[in-house]
Amino acid sequence: MYPFASLPENLAAFCEVLRRYHGFRIGPGELHDAARALEIMDLADERAVRDALRPILAGTLDDVTAFDAAFTQFFYPGPEGLQQDQMPSTKREPGTDADGRGTDARPPRHAPPSGADADETSGSGVDPMTLLESATESLEEATMFAPSSYSPLDAVAVEAPELPRVEQAWRDAARALVRRLHLGLSRRWRPASRGRRFDLRRTLRAALQTGGETLSPRWRRRPRRAPRFVILVDGSRSMSDYARTALQMAVAMATATMRIEVFTFSTELQRVTGEVRRAAAGDFIRLERLHHAWAGGTSIGACLRDFLQRFGERMTGRDTVVMIASDGLDVGAPDMLRDAMRELHRRSAGVVWLNPLLETDGYEPTASGMRAARPYVTTFSSVSDTSGLVRLSRTVRIR
Amino acid sequence: MTDASVIHARFRERGFIVDDAFATALQIMLALEKPLLIEGPAGVGKTESAKVLAHVLGTELIRLQCYEGLDAMAALYEWNYPRQMLHARLSEAEDSSLEEREAYMFTERFLLKRPLLDAITRERSPVLLIDEVDRADEAFEAFLLEVLAEWQVTIPELGTIRARHKPHVILTSNRTRELSDALRRRCLFLWLPYPSLSQEIEILHARVPGLSDRLAQQIARLMQVFRGLPLQKAPGVAESLDWGLALMSLHREHLDTRTLEETLGCVLKVYEDRGVMHAHHAAFEAILADAPANLEPGGYKLDTDFGFGSVSAPRR
Repeated sequence: MYPFASLPENLAAFCEVLRRYHGFRIGPGELHDAARALEIMDLADERAVRDALRPILAGTLDDVTAFDAAFTQFFYPGPEGLQQDQMPSTKREPGTDADGRGTDARPPRHAPPSGADADETSGSGVDPMTLLESATESLEEATMFAPSSYSPLDAVAVEAPELPRVEQAWRDAARALVRRLHLGLSRRWRPASRGRRFDLRRTLRAALQTGGETLSPRWRRRPRRAPRFVILVDGSRSMSDYARTALQMAVAMATATMRIEVFTFSTELQRVTGEVRRAAAGDFIRLERLHHAWAGGTSIGACLRDFLQRFGERMTGRDTVVMIASDGLDVGAPDMLRDAMRELHRRSAGVVWLNPLLETDGYEPTASGMRAARPYVTTFSSVSDTSGLVRLSRTVRIR
Repeated sequence: MTDASVIHARFRERGFIVDDAFATALQIMLALEKPLLIEGPAGVGKTESAKVLAHVLGTELIRLQCYEGLDAMAALYEWNYPRQMLHARLSEAEDSSLEEREAYMFTERFLLKRPLLDAITRERSPVLLIDEVDRADEAFEAFLLEVLAEWQVTIPELGTIRARHKPHVILTSNRTRELSDALRRRCLFLWLPYPSLSQEIEILHARVPGLSDRLAQQIARLMQVFRGLPLQKAPGVAESLDWGLALMSLHREHLDTRTLEETLGCVLKVYEDRGVMHAHHAAFEAILADAPANLEPGGYKLDTDFGFGSVSAPRR
């Protein structure tokens, strides 16, 4: 089960794999916790080790899935080309541990993590920093145990689009849009020099300076509610030029607010929030892992439905403004698009549809997809340059 | 309370079925003294698990329900102003100095402890449940981080109060918004999914005593189907328990199409979801048809014929 001889080495190498290939953020703190957790677990029980490490190393649901796959691959490396279902099952019953499964290279399960290794982890404990340092060295070895299917870089990159760096004009326009959106007042009360509610605590504190006489009353008021944004960029072939402009807008928006999520879709949906945020911070980013979320056909309805199912719950709410950049030329069923749009509309503060075709004279949204979506769009507009974004900030409507 | 299997058994005694991953996460949480963040769909027993944990550990449960606009005053402490002012008026006549009176006004006597402060000043480690942390806004999350990391609270008038015993903290989230990475890093993470078929049957038996085995099977199987549909609000364990109780109180022996329609309100809570269900009706047929084989159409099977021979079902 364990690729390396000693337990700390195994743990450190595994953490390094998670960090390098799965984007986990594992610091000395997590490593230390993991080592402490293993001290109290039965190391011969694969499921217990897995269950113990998962809460410490994984932080989100996506992490949980990635963790389970990586755990199986790291501790039960199969030979090249072995089918997933031939790999040792992750849900094995403790009693049914079939011998002869996996590879010959695998050491006997109960042998390695005993004796000397146990001593290393107990007592004074392991210094996480030394573990981290040794991890990088041992990783070259570890990659042998981690088949290449780990790497997201292997994905077929069809003319991967690069995220543009945004100029000041774009930033200003984006900031104007974020500022102009009024979503009413927050439920929170903040101290303020003028406000609607009397602040007894601060008034009394101030009164201490004036010998107990309340000379200067203090107030509290509600700050404005800050909007959240979800930007969905149609990356299908028919949109190719406009999609880049839309991504530029997304990057500009990301410089103006942290409360933003960005997705691209074509026949599949892909979350690119991380890349967009890094681009907004000034890095040069190429969108490498878009798969079917770029330069394919369009199934808007299915992608929106997918978005609602996977992210809708946590990313939409009554302070969310959903922006869809698409020409609305959908190959899917209009019914599906209509249902998805209805739900988006219901769960958000407003749906902005940016359609490049609007700039064409005489365009009417008569295509079946666009006609299905139109009733649930609160602002129908287009943005091709900074002036378009400024115009949008004046005309955008929310419920 | 150190081994996962012990946790397993103790929780089961109180009618709460946990799987191995959950039991191990609790074990790690108790050993490392770190907060446990539980995420999962609504109605899978996130809140309930904290209550049961308090029972099992034999300590108190302190609950902080988060909501939009929750601030430090409501979560940590507040001075009892009316009492302070009353005291100020009443002690005017006394000949103690101003400093003495002021010092007395800011003592624990006038301090209203809210859940977080309450939790760190207990004599025994309580279970602190921070419920639906995603409903509080980001500013509160940042404040919470400080408390969870340091286990101390600074009150300007009193000084710093350190935790005598670290509470066992469980945070729950329904994912109505994304939590910050910083908060996630402070916590252990557990994803609590819907239970498997066999687990759900077990839960139904544990929580609805007297429910027939067939009904429990049918409910659990139907729930698996419901959760596979693209519903706006998928039913959780809470819904299947409600459903079980409802069917028991209606004295139904099994589920058929008519009973399903009558009691649908226990399961589907959004109007459009009924349409989705009817569109996928075929998936339900097989389970609903799992009625007793000797039931004639329109007839009712009696367990006894009262000695007269049944009039509704022929003898076999």
